[in-house]
Amino acid sequence: MLAISPHSADTVEFAAGTRDAVKVYGSGENQVRALDGVTVGFPKGRWTAIMGPSGSGKSTLMHCVAGLDALTSGSVFIGDIVLGSLSERERTRVRRDRIGFVFQAYNLIPTLTALENITLPARLAGRRTDADLVDSVVDAVGLRSRLTHRPSELSGGQQQRVAVARALVSRPDIVFADEPTGNLDRHSGAEILTFMRAAVRDFDQTIVMVTHDPVAACAADAVVFLADGRIVDHMESPTVAGILEHMKGLGG
Amino acid sequence: MFQLAIRTILSHKRRLMSTVLSIVLGIAFLAGTFVFTDSIKQTFNDLFSSVYANTDAVVRSDQEVETQAGTSRGRIPDSVLDVVAAVPGVDEVMGSVTGYARILSKDGDPLGVEQGSPNFGMEMNDSPSSAWTVVAGRVPASGVEMAMDKGSFDQGGFALGDEATVISQQGPRLFTVVGVVRFGSADSPAGSRVALFDLATAQEFVGRPGQLDSINIRGDGSLDEDALAARISAHLPDGTEVVTGQAMAAESSNQIKDALSFFDTLLLVFAFIALFVGSFIIYNTFSIVVAQRKRENALLRAIGASERQVELALLGEALVMGLIGSAVGFVAGFGMARLLKGMLDAVGIEIPAGGLVLLPRTVILSFVVGTAITVAAAVLPARRGAKVPPIAAMREVAVEPKAFSAKRFVWGLVVLGAGVVLIVVGLTGELAILGLGTVLVFVGTFVVGPLISRPVARVLGAPIARFRGMSGELAQQNAMRNPKRTARTAAALMVGVALVAAITVFAASIKSSIRSIIGEQFTGDFVVATESFGFGGLPGDLAEELGRIDGVAAAAGVQIGGARIDGRDQMVTVIDPAAAAAVFDLGIVAGSLEALDDAGILLSEARSDKTGLGVGDILTAQFLDGSSHTLTVQGIYEKEELAGPFSITNSLYASTGADMYAFSIFVKLEDGASPSAVEGRLGTAISPYPMADLQSRQGYIDAQAASIDTFVNLVYGLLALAVTIAVFGIANTLSLSVYERTRELGLLRAVGATRGQVRSMIRWESVITAMLGAVQGIVVGCALGWAVVFALRDQGFREFTLPVVTLGLVLVLAMGCGTLAAMRPARRAAGLDVLQAIHSE
Repeated sequence: MLAISPHSADTVEFAAGTRDAVKVYGSGENQVRALDGVTVGFPKGRWTAIMGPSGSGKSTLMHCVAGLDALTSGSVFIGDIVLGSLSERERTRVRRDRIGFVFQAYNLIPTLTALENITLPARLAGRRTDADLVDSVVDAVGLRSRLTHRPSELSGGQQQRVAVARALVSRPDIVFADEPTGNLDRHSGAEILTFMRAAVRDFDQTIVMVTHDPVAACAADAVVFLADGRIVDHMESPTVAGILEHMKGLGG
Repeated sequence: MFQLAIRTILSHKRRLMSTVLSIVLGIAFLAGTFVFTDSIKQTFNDLFSSVYANTDAVVRSDQEVETQAGTSRGRIPDSVLDVVAAVPGVDEVMGSVTGYARILSKDGDPLGVEQGSPNFGMEMNDSPSSAWTVVAGRVPASGVEMAMDKGSFDQGGFALGDEATVISQQGPRLFTVVGVVRFGSADSPAGSRVALFDLATAQEFVGRPGQLDSINIRGDGSLDEDALAARISAHLPDGTEVVTGQAMAAESSNQIKDALSFFDTLLLVFAFIALFVGSFIIYNTFSIVVAQRKRENALLRAIGASERQVELALLGEALVMGLIGSAVGFVAGFGMARLLKGMLDAVGIEIPAGGLVLLPRTVILSFVVGTAITVAAAVLPARRGAKVPPIAAMREVAVEPKAFSAKRFVWGLVVLGAGVVLIVVGLTGELAILGLGTVLVFVGTFVVGPLISRPVARVLGAPIARFRGMSGELAQQNAMRNPKRTARTAAALMVGVALVAAITVFAASIKSSIRSIIGEQFTGDFVVATESFGFGGLPGDLAEELGRIDGVAAAAGVQIGGARIDGRDQMVTVIDPAAAAAVFDLGIVAGSLEALDDAGILLSEARSDKTGLGVGDILTAQFLDGSSHTLTVQGIYEKEELAGPFSITNSLYASTGADMYAFSIFVKLEDGASPSAVEGRLGTAISPYPMADLQSRQGYIDAQAASIDTFVNLVYGLLALAVTIAVFGIANTLSLSVYERTRELGLLRAVGATRGQVRSMIRWESVITAMLGAVQGIVVGCALGWAVVFALRDQGFREFTLPVVTLGLVLVLAMGCGTLAAMRPARRAAGLDVLQAIHSE
C-alpha cells in the first residue's frame, strides 16, 4: 500500500487524493455507505485505475475527488487545494482549470464542432488556447481532418477521441476518465487507451480511470480495488490475469 | 388509451400548468368580454325599462339625421302638448327638453370627460314618471334653480344651496343647486354630467323657447300602450310621431349598446388575438413533447398500439388540457369582467351598478372555443407523433430535424400570398376579410419561419456570440440547433410585435398626416379649441365676439351639423364664410368661399366628382326643423380633410332652429399685431369657458396629433396581453429544452461552466429567440401598417411614417421579454445537480 498511502509516502507527490473519505446516501433504513473511510492518493504523472464490483463505490470515489460530489465526512485534495472548504463557484473553477473529464458517452456538446468542443473549457474560462498545444494534441489523437465536424457526424470512437483531446488540451493537473472505453468496440477502445498512455508518457499527465474492463485497467500503471466502499487491494503494473484473480476474490 | 392520456398529464403537472396558461388568458378575456358586455346590456335594459315604466307613449319630431357624429332629432312646438293632452285616454303629458350644458365645479373646472359620454342639460319635474330619483333636496322650481346628478354634485364639491355655473349655447349662467338626483341606481347616466332645470328654463337655456324635444305621456289605464299610441297618432300634426314607452325603452337601451359596441368588438378582437397566440404555443409545446416522447410512443406502437390509437391518446391529452384551460379561463373571466368595468370607470364612463350576467352562450363558447383551439393546435403534432416507427423504441433516432423543405417553402408562400390578397381586398372596407388576411399572413410567416430562423438567429446572435464569450456562442448555437422549434417559439411573439408595430406605424402616419393637413390648411395663428365634436362646445356667437378683439383679423367658429342632402343624411360643416376664408386654405378650385350665402353650399372636389355637381348646380337640403332648402353650389374646394364634403353658412344653419355651437374657433391676427398681447386678450375673453383651450398654431397642431394617443395606448395595453402570452410560451419552450438537454448541461458544468455561465447561456438563447420573433413581427407589422395607410390614402392618410426610434424600442422591449421568459428556465438549468444531470437519460 506504499504508493497510495499519503501518510507513508515521503518520496511520492500526489496530484489528488482523499483522507478518511465517507459518503453516505439516504437515511435511516435506506442508508448506504458508498464510501466508508477511503484514504487514497493518486501519484503525479501516473495512471491509476479504480476497479471494483457494481456498488463498490468506485464511481462515487471518482466523483468526489473530481469535485462533482461532496463527501459526508473526510477530505479531498487536488494538488494543494482542499475541496471541502470551497464554494460551488470555486469548485467549478477548479474543475475548469485543473481537471479534465472523459465520460463513458455523451461527452460532447452537440452544437459545437470537434475543435470547439476541444477548446470549450479554455473558452469558458475566457482564456486563449495554446495553439501549438492544440495542434500537437489534435495530431496525437489523429483528428486533424475532423475538426470542423459536429459530434453527430463523428463515429463513437472519434467522439471519444475528441473528448480525450478536450481533457488533455488544457494541461490539467489530473484527468478523470469514467469508463472511457465502455461504449466502444475493441479496436476504438484500444486506440483511446493508447492515446491516454501517450499522454502519461509524453506530458507526464496524471490520469485516474474508473473501469470494470480488465483489459483497459491493464493499460494503467496501477490498479486500486474497491469493495463495499473500502479500498481492499492494490496492484502495480497490472496484468489481465492478475486482475481477474483479484476480482474473483472480491466476488465481482 | 384515454387513461394513458390522463396518467401522462398527471405526471407532468407543472408542464400542464404552463401550457394551459396560454389558453387560460385568452379564454378569460373572451368570457370576461361577454360577461361584461352582457351585464352592461342587462343593466341598461333594466334601467330604461324602469325609466319608461310609467310612460305609456312618447311624442317627438319625425325629423332625424343620423351621421357619424351621432343622431339628432328635431324639436316640436309647445302647442303639441295641448293637442296630446286632449286625446281621450291620456292622463298626463310632460314636455321634455335636452341640450348641451356643461357644469363647472366649484373650482371652475368643467365636469365630465372630453370625448366621453355627452354632458347635457334637461328639464325635470316632480311627476312619478320622471327618469330621475331625487336623493337630496328638491326639484328645481324657478329660473335660477337647478338640480344635478350625484356624480357631478360629488365631483364638483357642491353642497345644497351652493351657486353653480353652467355653460350652454347661451353662455355661462349661475344657478342655485337645490337638488341632487340619480339615474336609476347610477350616480350619473353612463358618466354623463347632467344639469336639470324647470321646463321653461331648460327650453330657454339649453333648447329653444317654445320648443320641446319630446312629450312623455301617461295614459289613464283605459287603453294599452299600442292602442293609446295609435289614438294619439291620429291627432298629431305633421312632423311629429308617437312611439310607445316600451319602444322608447328599447330604443334608448339600443343606443347605449350601439355606443358601446365599438368597445365590445374591440375587446373580442383582442380576445381572439390572445387565443390565436395561445394556439401557436399549444402547437409548439405539443410538437416538443411529442418529439421528446418519441421513444415512449414507439414503444406503444411496438407492443401493438395502432397509429390511430397513439394519435388519439395524444389528442385526448389535448382535450383534457383544453377543458382545464377553458374552465380556469372561464372562472378568471369574471375577474376580467370586473377589470374591464374598472377600466371604463377610469376613463370616466361609469356603468350603473348591476350584477354580472352569465348567459349560457358565454359558458358554451368559453368551453367550446378553448377546447377546440387546444385540440386543433395539437392535431398536427399528434399525427406526427403517431407516425413514429416502432423500431425507434429500440434505437437512438436523430433529434436534430432538417429545416429546409421545398414543400414547406411553397406552402408558406402560398398561404402568405393568399393572406396578402385578402388584405388587399379587405382594405376596400370589408374588415372581416382584412382580419382573415392578417391571420393568413401570420400563418404563412409561421410556416416559412423555420426556413429563415437559422440564418436570422445566426445574424442576430452574432453580436451576442462576439461579446458574451462562450455563453453567448453557445446561446447562438442553441437558438440555431432546432430551427423549427425556435421559429415556432418566436412566432407567438411575432404576432404580438407585428400588431404593436402595425399600430405604431399607423399612429405615426396619422400623426404626420394630421400635422401636414392642419399645417397646410389652417393659415391662422391661434385656436380656441374644445374636444367636443358634433355635440356642444362653445356658444355659436362667441367667434363673433372674439373677432371684435383688438388685433384679431378674423375668428372663425366651426360647427359640425347634420342635414339630409338629396335624400341622404350627411355631416355638414357650418362656417362663417368671410372669417373661414381668412383662416383656412381649402384650395378653392371653382367659385369662392367668402361669397357663400344662405342660398348656397360648397362641395369638396371629391364630392363634386362623385355627384357630378358643379358650380351653379342645385341640390336639396332638409334640416331637423323639417324645412327643405334648395341650395346652389357656389364653390368647390380641393382639400376636404378639415372641411369635409359639404359646407354651409352658420346663418342658414341657425335659421333651421339648430342649436349653435362651435367645437373650435380659429383665429387670425391682424398684420403687425403683437401675438402675445392678442393672446392675453383672447385668454381673457374665453376665461368664462374653461373647457376651451387657447392654443398657438403649433400647439394646436401638436394637440391634434396627440389626440390619437389615448386610443393607441389602449390598444398597446390590450396587445400587452398577447405579448404576455408569448412570454409564457418562450418560457415554456425553454423549460422543455432545458429538460431535454439536462445531460448536456451537466457536461457543460462538469467541464467548468459556472452556474452564471449556464444562466447567461439560457438567457441569451431566449433573447435571440425573442429578437427573431420581434424582427419578423416588425417586418410584418410595418408591411401591414403600410398597406392600411396606403389603402386609406384618399381618406386623409397622406403621409406614411416609419417611426424608427419607436420600433427600435419595441425590439429592445422584446429583448426584455426574452430575458423575463428565461428567468425560471435559466434558474432551473443553473441549479441542476451536475452528477444527476450527467447520468440522466
